[in-house]
Amino acid sequence: MAEVKCSYKPKDIAGKLALIFLHNPLTPLLAIFILAVGYLALEIMPREEDPQIAISGGSVIVPMPGATPKEIENVIVKPLEEKIREISGVEYIYGMAMRNVGIVNVQYYIGQNREISNLKLYDKVMQNMNLLPKHAMHPLVKPFDIDIDIPILTYAFYKRDPNLSDAKLYKIVKEIQYQVNRVKNVSKTQLKGAHKRQFNILVDLNKLTAYHLSMGQIMKAVQSVALEVPDIKNKTKDNKLVVFGVPNAIESVEDVENIMVANYMGSPIYVKDIATVEDGIDIQNFKEAKIWARELEGDLPQYTLEISKLKGTNAVFVANDVQALMAQLKPMLQKEGIGFVLTRDYGKRANDAVNELVRHLLITIAIIAIMLVFFLGWKEAIIVTFTVPAILAITLFIAYITGQTINRITLFAFLLSLGLLVDAAIIVIENIHRHLHEHDALYKDMDTILVEATDEIGAPTNVATVAIILTMVPMAFVGGMMGEFMKPIPLNVPVALIASLLIAYIFTPYLAKKMLKKPKMHHHKHHFQKHEKLPEGCEIDGGKS
Amino acid sequence: MKQFERFVYKILSHKSLKFLVIVAILASLGASVMMIPTKIVWVKMLPGKSANTFSVYVDLPTGSSIEQTKMVSQCVVDILKREKEVTDIEQFLGMGAPLDYAGLVKGSAFKNSENVAEIVVNLTDKHEREERSYNMVHRLRPIIKERCEPLVDQTVIKLIEQPAGPPTLASIVAEIYTPNETTLRRFAQRVADVFRRTPGLVDIDIMQDEIYKKFELRPNIDKIQKSGLAVEQVQKILYLAFEGMDIGVKNEENYPSQIPIFLRLSDETRRLEGKSLEEVRRKLAAFELMNQKGMMVPLTEVVDIVEVDSEPSIMHKNLRRYVNVIAETDLVSQVYPLLEARETIMKEFAKDYEIETTDYLFNLRFTDKKSGEVIDLKWDGEMKVTLDTFRDLGLAFIAALILIYLLIVVYYKSYSLSNIVMAGSFLSIIGVIVGHWVADLVTRDTFFLTATSLIGFIALMGISSRNSILLIDFAKALMIEKGIEKRRAIAIATATRARPIMLTAIAIILGSALLASDPIFGGLGVALIGGTVAAVIVSLLFIPVLMDNAKAMDFTKKREG
Repeated sequence: MAEVKCSYKPKDIAGKLALIFLHNPLTPLLAIFILAVGYLALEIMPREEDPQIAISGGSVIVPMPGATPKEIENVIVKPLEEKIREISGVEYIYGMAMRNVGIVNVQYYIGQNREISNLKLYDKVMQNMNLLPKHAMHPLVKPFDIDIDIPILTYAFYKRDPNLSDAKLYKIVKEIQYQVNRVKNVSKTQLKGAHKRQFNILVDLNKLTAYHLSMGQIMKAVQSVALEVPDIKNKTKDNKLVVFGVPNAIESVEDVENIMVANYMGSPIYVKDIATVEDGIDIQNFKEAKIWARELEGDLPQYTLEISKLKGTNAVFVANDVQALMAQLKPMLQKEGIGFVLTRDYGKRANDAVNELVRHLLITIAIIAIMLVFFLGWKEAIIVTFTVPAILAITLFIAYITGQTINRITLFAFLLSLGLLVDAAIIVIENIHRHLHEHDALYKDMDTILVEATDEIGAPTNVATVAIILTMVPMAFVGGMMGEFMKPIPLNVPVALIASLLIAYIFTPYLAKKMLKKPKMHHHKHHFQKHEKLPEGCEIDGGKS
Repeated sequence: MKQFERFVYKILSHKSLKFLVIVAILASLGASVMMIPTKIVWVKMLPGKSANTFSVYVDLPTGSSIEQTKMVSQCVVDILKREKEVTDIEQFLGMGAPLDYAGLVKGSAFKNSENVAEIVVNLTDKHEREERSYNMVHRLRPIIKERCEPLVDQTVIKLIEQPAGPPTLASIVAEIYTPNETTLRRFAQRVADVFRRTPGLVDIDIMQDEIYKKFELRPNIDKIQKSGLAVEQVQKILYLAFEGMDIGVKNEENYPSQIPIFLRLSDETRRLEGKSLEEVRRKLAAFELMNQKGMMVPLTEVVDIVEVDSEPSIMHKNLRRYVNVIAETDLVSQVYPLLEARETIMKEFAKDYEIETTDYLFNLRFTDKKSGEVIDLKWDGEMKVTLDTFRDLGLAFIAALILIYLLIVVYYKSYSLSNIVMAGSFLSIIGVIVGHWVADLVTRDTFFLTATSLIGFIALMGISSRNSILLIDFAKALMIEKGIEKRRAIAIATATRARPIMLTAIAIILGSALLASDPIFGGLGVALIGGTVAAVIVSLLFIPVLMDNAKAMDFTKKREG
């Protein structure tokens, strides 16, 4: 019987990889390592719902009390716009001339470096301070900062106990805000709709006229009393320190009421004679927030606490930490008669989005595996199915070390590549399968068949994969917001595809060696005919046929 | 396998059958591409995203009071409360709600006046809810508008959905540029009127301050000086009396901030009886100031009260005065209403203006036939982003085509083989468009051809080129190594590769099946599914025909010769 011995020399990178890893004891370790780093990356990568778009820009706000919009336009907005025009990289300049204030919003081209852009804007405004008109107040330069500006959590606090005073509510919410600020990776916290405590002196115009008093007099009278003086230090003759503490004369509403404003016909007129004084809230602040929830009765006033996270941190972790804190504070708040509702949770949204994708991925992998069982056999199906998590693991890890986050669009990129990345493995396994069932398989040992089968489809698969990668590359150059929004696709799909090639070449033959066997042929021996070409590198042993 | 091999061989050996395949493929290409201009398949940037929240922006005319705003806002809330899917509602009166992606570009952070309010509506989880949030918004919008907008004249209520893609100011933004204020206002009004009449457009608003009546107290300097007062004093005391001021603070140990002491006239005595010149005068007559000599001078003695128009804010964009007219689209794509509105504008305005198209997009320039004034109309908003994106993706697509072409030329060192691969890849567009048409037929909502569909199509280019490359490579190997005759080799190669081609295609189809049900990525899923089906048909029937016709495939002869 002729024995064909082959020492197949791989021509393509595919066969070379297959050959190297086929006998390497480190191959299974490599697999475990890849899966482990992928899982780690999935767990620790910052999760968010939408990708971070690098919008650079800012506002320059110049208040000028008393000026009309036309004046502001001429003396503030126009000169400022001209100066900002000198900055490179600015796409849009929006000028707004309103009563009392001029605002110029600057928006840089998408993708400009944010720190440098902010600096350029600040620099330009500061350099041209001399152009500001008289009476204009100091300009405020406020750069946009999406991470800090968009809160990931909002809580609405309301009074469960209607007798609770606004002052008390404000005080407690303020204390909670301070505690939330302590939580790791929380950046900005802000209160919306809050009303501060304030003593209001509400003057009755009719009484004012009756007593022949002016508003100015009341102001002066109150101001003369409401002064804060630091402690006065004095010394005794033998050089001992004596401190005179001077408390604020106003401690309560009664103190204000009893301030004397003037003498009218010989009798003193107190504040309480012409005005009502209350320990109330800032009535000049027209802003107000209300809440209605299914379990609440009617629309209640509320204070909303907004919580943002630091850039590059995991919204899910920050949200969980804050929620744990709130759960801790809940009994205290209940005792004080304060209720709260979580009105926004981007941490949960981001987490749901990520988990939903992971679920979708698993379902899809399962479906593909079942399909492969029917077409290729269950062992082959297992081999291909293994490659998917390995490929995703590599891609995730690379995304993690390049500073990306897990968001809707990254997931989108994974889903997009899902159908593509099993292809390489399917093509390899299919070819191995085919070679194993070919007639000349009988004469070759397993390793040769595996390497040869992998090598054979190497070149066209490489070219085809490069072709798919090439389709993705131009997408990286799509401009504008949408281009920036979609960026994870051109960043991740090529990585996933290259990973799919490597995994297919390295692990598919390895796993095939472990799991597949040469089919037992019915020894209907097929003799090599003269005209039939032997596979390259093979020779017939023994000479006899 | 053998059967399929015979089938392919049969096609290849008959001229008429080959011709039939080519004609059939080209006809379906033509038919599917025609589905876009004939609006059988609709185009949109990104479809709506079903979210667990949406917002309502309430904009009263400038000069409205917080109490009026509160009334309108409460009206909206009362309607929303009746929805069983609404879990909680937050009203933010006189300010913007906590910033979100939509609010970021819609100027939510800058809202700080009595005539605005924002309402955040949280819904039950989208998985446990039947109705998608955009359908809910669509259903509620007319009810809310009909009930609450008439409460205060000129009120605009907008229902804002979370954007699926990058946030924009509005679906459709018409920027109107002209230096003259009255022209600007009049023109913006006319454009807004056209928008209002265009079906599919809702929430139309002109982003400018309304002009309202206000009263100016002009200090009569002569009289002020004669009565021993100072102009500054008059202004300051007036402000103190009616607006109020912090006149001092009180520190408190047990309170997180200083407590201001605030002075103002009481509400009962501060308020006017009505909004007229007489009422203003009557109120101010009761108000006296003290002069240097300690004598009281009635305010009306030293100021003249005049009724004037308020001065609206002035907006510039890139150093040109402009105003925005914005509109949202209601469940429809923004492309078609825009084209319709533009058509109407061009028709109706032709009477008074010379109209010419300008640089980019559908921008227009109007020249007044009488005064010669020039007005520019530029489109912005989601519409512009859509067109920019489609243009960029189109360019990316062409770039991808060229790159693949060059790659294959390098690989095969043959132009005609590259042409075959490219032709095969491009034809997957048939499946993409037909796929969307089918998806539109089976789903309840309109299924749009979106940016994600386009991305799917671009990815498909690579996938179907892979099929062709594997086919050509295999046929080539058969011819060179086994010396099989060309036609037979192509048939064998097609039959052998049919299996992996089908397998990978099924993998892609199954992999995209879950995508197709997603509201945003549905376009991508459908594109991949439809396109892959088309790619399989094309590569198993059309590509062999092209290969057979190509001289560059004659590897057998070369060996023999």
